[in-house]
Amino acid sequence: MTALVGIIANPASGKDIRRLVAHGSVFSNNEKINIITRVLRGLDALGIRHVLAMPDSFGLAVRAYENAGVSLRMTLLDMAVTNTSQDSTQAARMMVNAGVKCIVTLGGDGTNRAVAKGCGSVPLVPVSTGTNNVFPKMVEGTLAGFAAAVVSLEVEGVRESAIRPVPRLEILREGKLTDIALVDTVVYDERFVASRAIWDTSKICTVILPRVRTGTIGASSIAGNLPEAHLHNEHGAWLEVALGGDAIYSVLAPIAPGLMASVPIQSVRWLSMGEEGTVACSPAILALDGEREVPIVSGEKIRVRLSQEGPNVVDIGAALRAASQAGLFVSIN
Amino acid sequence: MGLSKETLLNLYDTMVKIRTFEERVGEMYYEGKLPAFDIAAGPIPGEMHLYSGQEAVATGVCANLQPDDPVTSTHRAHGHLIAKGEDLKKMMAEIFGKETGLSHGKGGHMHLFDPNLHFGCGGIVGGGIPQAVGAALAIKKRGEDRVAVSFFGDGAANIGAFHESLNLASIWRLPVVFVVEDNLYAISVPKSASTAVRSNAERGAAYGIPAVQVDGQDVLAVYEAAKEAIDRARRGEGPSLIEAVCYRFRGHFEGDPELYLAKGEKDKWKERDPINILGSQLKAQGLLTDAEAEAIQAKMTDLVAEAEAFARESPYPAPEEALEHLFA
Repeated sequence: MTALVGIIANPASGKDIRRLVAHGSVFSNNEKINIITRVLRGLDALGIRHVLAMPDSFGLAVRAYENAGVSLRMTLLDMAVTNTSQDSTQAARMMVNAGVKCIVTLGGDGTNRAVAKGCGSVPLVPVSTGTNNVFPKMVEGTLAGFAAAVVSLEVEGVRESAIRPVPRLEILREGKLTDIALVDTVVYDERFVASRAIWDTSKICTVILPRVRTGTIGASSIAGNLPEAHLHNEHGAWLEVALGGDAIYSVLAPIAPGLMASVPIQSVRWLSMGEEGTVACSPAILALDGEREVPIVSGEKIRVRLSQEGPNVVDIGAALRAASQAGLFVSIN
Repeated sequence: MGLSKETLLNLYDTMVKIRTFEERVGEMYYEGKLPAFDIAAGPIPGEMHLYSGQEAVATGVCANLQPDDPVTSTHRAHGHLIAKGEDLKKMMAEIFGKETGLSHGKGGHMHLFDPNLHFGCGGIVGGGIPQAVGAALAIKKRGEDRVAVSFFGDGAANIGAFHESLNLASIWRLPVVFVVEDNLYAISVPKSASTAVRSNAERGAAYGIPAVQVDGQDVLAVYEAAKEAIDRARRGEGPSLIEAVCYRFRGHFEGDPELYLAKGEKDKWKERDPINILGSQLKAQGLLTDAEAEAIQAKMTDLVAEAEAFARESPYPAPEEALEHLFA
């Protein structure tokens, strides 16, 4: 069976209000076309013959394919374009049904959250083209294409060494799963979604993380910068911010690109898989992976659970190591 | 953001006021023009470009402005001027070409000016952009803390004046906010057929100007971005660009057959009516009841009816005044 690869590129990423309130970089769609071009050339060079791509209103994938000069075939998914995050979720579902072995995503944490809702166990190669990105990495498109090809061709050892499951946070309303987050969930003292981003730390009531990592940006960095963070790589975290004067300490955290804040912490609880808790603050809004998404009206009970049902992610370096060890880059003269 | 209930309801009021005004003008416009369309006939002669559907953009931006902040607008200006706080009677009278109008009835719908509100508009696509930069230059040279705003469409972002204006505004670090109302079409030409970038927010980077894209159907998203952009301009931190993605509910002009639209496209956008979006959010938060929403609508209907009566009853300018009040 032909190894089929999917490409989901979000044309809306990289232009939100963090260009005004912080110093977020601008990611033009013409640069995304360049990146997809390089992904396609990487895939083609390692023998991928067929790619499925999400359609969008700017024609990112089509324009990249026209530039790429590759022999592989690209098919656009037959789906309506709504210009919302639902496109990415829908595209991921259709790619899974079509039997893709790997999906390359271009976007930010929000894009990957949308893809994660539809990709099941198909591994992702997330390429960062957003702002506060924790989930996707800044990586050269050519190498992302190589890694996706290596995974899709099921090169020996790659599944064991390069595909990593990641945890997720599950948002539960009346006990029912209504949404997910891959990087962080923030309870934000606002009532409206408005421009989506969060940057005012005085409004952060609670920060919940599916995993703790130092070296991130955004609300997740608040836990990542705690002295004991390195002891809890296998845990999630639930931090209550001290809104009054009862802080145990304050943490310097990069909340947005170039925007730092000292955040007073009231309590820290390290979460094990399956643990959950109740959001204490309402009315408020839940920001998922950096974007205000879910309004909580007064008195409404929302619970958040740490789960291991997150997507599988490709470690690009490990995938390329597996490929080189398998001799994929060598030909006998 | 932390908006008070009063501010939130003011935003709702303004959007309903604009919609009510525009829909009534849209009805009156056809008086005397049919059955064979005669553009010069009826109480409102000439072309007509209405703002229905885009209310969130004007409302969200202008709610952050003071009366003496200069605003330049386009051929589709009613919403901007209402949001800036114009008296509906003077506006309607001008649209009717009456002596009691803003320009004594000699400007009409596409040339609405009010020096008290520092507002001007015109039919030259992109013509208002360098004017706003000029106003911002004056503000800076005088050492004032005012901010100039220019509203224009995605079509205007493809003309030279846009690029020259961004360049000058950036190198002179002027207090100006550029607001691109991307309603997806330049008259009937889709942006995909006319514009080399998907988002005009991407063009800010070429001139070192912070630029954001917002949901132009959500007044709170527009408000929040506009507040940040206007505040930073007032602080002397220079220009910004906001691209508000929105949709016109009545076509480019009254009588537009809209043959260029995809089937069902407009209905899909009407599901995201900006008034309904804010109304639903306010109701969900217990800040607006159905009865209050109806009362706001009734109040705006009365205001527009008063403006209509004023315009209909007002005299036309006398023929001997034909050459007065003219700039050129």
